[in-house]
Amino acid sequence: MADADDDVLKNPANASVQPEVDLSDETQDFRFLNNLNIYADSGSLPRRGEKDFEPNPTEHQTGVLSESRKAMHIALSFPRLHGSKSHVIAFYAPDGYFPLAEVSPPKAPQHTEKSTESPEKPVRPTPRSANINPDVCVYVPNPKGTLFKSVGQSDRWNRLWLLPEEALYLIERGSLDIRWPSPTDPAVTGQDDLSIPMSLQAAYASFVGHGGLTLERYSVYTGLKRLGYTLARAPGWCDEAEQQENEHETSPSSSVHENVKPMLRGAGLAGILGSFFNWLHDPHSTASTTTGPMIGTGIHRHYMDVYRKLAIIPWYDPVTAPPSNPSDITAPFRVVFHVWKPSTPFKKSAPPTPEFRVAVLSTRDQASMPTMTQLGALLESTPLDPPSGEKMERMMYMRLRHGYRHVILAVVDQGVVSYLRVADSAFGKEKLYENQGGPRGPKRGGRGQQKSRKR
Amino acid sequence: MDSQPELPIPISYVSGRYLLHSIEAVTYLRREHHICGVLIGTLPQIPQQNVFLGLPLELMPEEARLLVDKDVACIVDEAKAQKGMNNLLEEDRRRYLRELEAEGLHYTRLQVDLKDSKREQTMKKLEEKKAKAGAKAKAVAAAAAAQTQTSEGAAPKSSMKDAAVVDLFAPDDTRSSSPATSTPSQSAMAITPATSYPPLPTPPSSTHLAAPAVPPSYPLFAHLHSRGYFLSPGLRFGCQYMAYPGDPLRFHSHFLVVSYDWDQNIDLMDLIVGGRLGTGVKKGFLIGGAQRTIDEVDSEADRVDTVRAFSLEWAGM
Repeated sequence: MADADDDVLKNPANASVQPEVDLSDETQDFRFLNNLNIYADSGSLPRRGEKDFEPNPTEHQTGVLSESRKAMHIALSFPRLHGSKSHVIAFYAPDGYFPLAEVSPPKAPQHTEKSTESPEKPVRPTPRSANINPDVCVYVPNPKGTLFKSVGQSDRWNRLWLLPEEALYLIERGSLDIRWPSPTDPAVTGQDDLSIPMSLQAAYASFVGHGGLTLERYSVYTGLKRLGYTLARAPGWCDEAEQQENEHETSPSSSVHENVKPMLRGAGLAGILGSFFNWLHDPHSTASTTTGPMIGTGIHRHYMDVYRKLAIIPWYDPVTAPPSNPSDITAPFRVVFHVWKPSTPFKKSAPPTPEFRVAVLSTRDQASMPTMTQLGALLESTPLDPPSGEKMERMMYMRLRHGYRHVILAVVDQGVVSYLRVADSAFGKEKLYENQGGPRGPKRGGRGQQKSRKR
Repeated sequence: MDSQPELPIPISYVSGRYLLHSIEAVTYLRREHHICGVLIGTLPQIPQQNVFLGLPLELMPEEARLLVDKDVACIVDEAKAQKGMNNLLEEDRRRYLRELEAEGLHYTRLQVDLKDSKREQTMKKLEEKKAKAGAKAKAVAAAAAAQTQTSEGAAPKSSMKDAAVVDLFAPDDTRSSSPATSTPSQSAMAITPATSYPPLPTPPSSTHLAAPAVPPSYPLFAHLHSRGYFLSPGLRFGCQYMAYPGDPLRFHSHFLVVSYDWDQNIDLMDLIVGGRLGTGVKKGFLIGGAQRTIDEVDSEADRVDTVRAFSLEWAGM
């Protein structure tokens, strides 16, 4: 880090072309933030400043530090304001989804009339609407603006229901004014609206911990949202859905498995041993791994045949590998978010195939590296995605890096998120001897699992 | 900014994590107690980026424990405390809503003022440009004496415009106050407050939770903290804590910290890897731990005095 820092300091023009410097890795000097005109919505970020090596008793340093702290104080105390044009009101519904009271028809028009001002008294019917997520806890009677394009679920009264993480993200970025449910029936008090705006603190207290939302999951959600990604809950979100998800998720891979099996050699130890014995009893071969020359005597016309005969070590093929036991999938090694890039067009009603699958880990709950079984089961729960495309065909290392299944681990260490991409690559599938001229580039070793930093 | 909040500072305990929402508390703890935490919230003024983050501040259990042990802070079960919102009396509600409205009005005025001053500035700039152009025209006109009449006509014109601008802003005082007084309820901006404590009373000490449970690395954490280091979570950099010699706002870190139990066997490879990593980024790799176990002493605080720390540096010969 320090090397990179020095380079940047010496050569600031280079900083923009250095992709490895992640500004969010470090504590930034807030003085640069306040140079921005915060009332104008300019999206550009300030450049980072110099830091000192160690404290010294000079007044200069004390002054600069207190300036920085002051700037931080000002930036952090910036209020969340809602101008009349962009003001969107929502209501907190601690008991989850409820339909508008249809029991009293004369009241209904009155409700729709002033739905923007007064909260309805929660009426809890026993049958819940099938398509609304049971974890929703905030509704927006009059959703407007582009922010609601990829979040929430609408009901038939055109109210938009938000999941806790969606509501918390929106209130935190100052785009939503959530109200506490009014204790008094608005019909009784008349025009008086006593619903109190919810504070950010109250929102955290009410939403984190609701419906399976942990602070770690929220940190990942909001961090990716800030960067423009689209996120949706994956079926692995809650424990109950786990079984269902496994059946659902593994079915495509198992069908692939069945199709492929007859053509390629059988998977598992038995299959490999079988082919091994077949090969041993091959009457045309004089080769023997136990007694004689491994490649056999006679005339060899091609190196390829020789190499092929030398390849006696069984290897792992992700395509034909037997599906693992679904019960191996344990918390927290489950896919909890489906993620789409900002450029991908997203439709709430028909979300496209997820581009990334993210599992969220907390370092305080899971202090050790995941075991092979846990990682294997996690990868197994994602669909097969073999490397494809012209570029992949050409470049072996890209193929290896991409892998046949892949998942992203978001490791949250007390609010600091690191992303790791874990891919299931098939080194055995890359026959180096079939390549003309062999591989280029630096030598790299590795086994079935390959890890690389994302971003 | 230099104010001291009322002690003990309530730390929100939300679903197993420790959060701070009050900016006064955050600034105070950073300044006086060297507790930085990690900012995890979105800044409403620039929401689409991850470089500058805002409140709330997430505290490590170690940090929360340290503050509780020093009697600077207390732990409050926030979800339970917020339930008090439903029991607020009607008068309290009305008063709180009135306060919020007054605050919103204040911001509306600020914004109007800002807009006005901006407009004034652009107007001034325009005027200056015009004046310059006028001066140029004058110079040109002076050179070509034949056109004196037109240039003289232009100069008073601009001064007249100046007068018009002054006129425009002279009655401004009365104008800006009149819409504010006439339509206060419509123009007041709605506010999402940062914390719930004005409307809620400060939670009584009987409701405070016990001091947070801490990992075995706590003695080393407390030891380094007592020596003036600022500590932050360090997994991203390959260690348990990052130790900064001063406020991370202004200084780079000096140590990658990993804690071990005193009798724990340490894999030599871990030391080599840590030492190489630290040296590679111009930091020391620091390991340490308390010599006494918790059974041998009365409290966690006593163990802190028995901590010893060692730093490793990779000296390639």
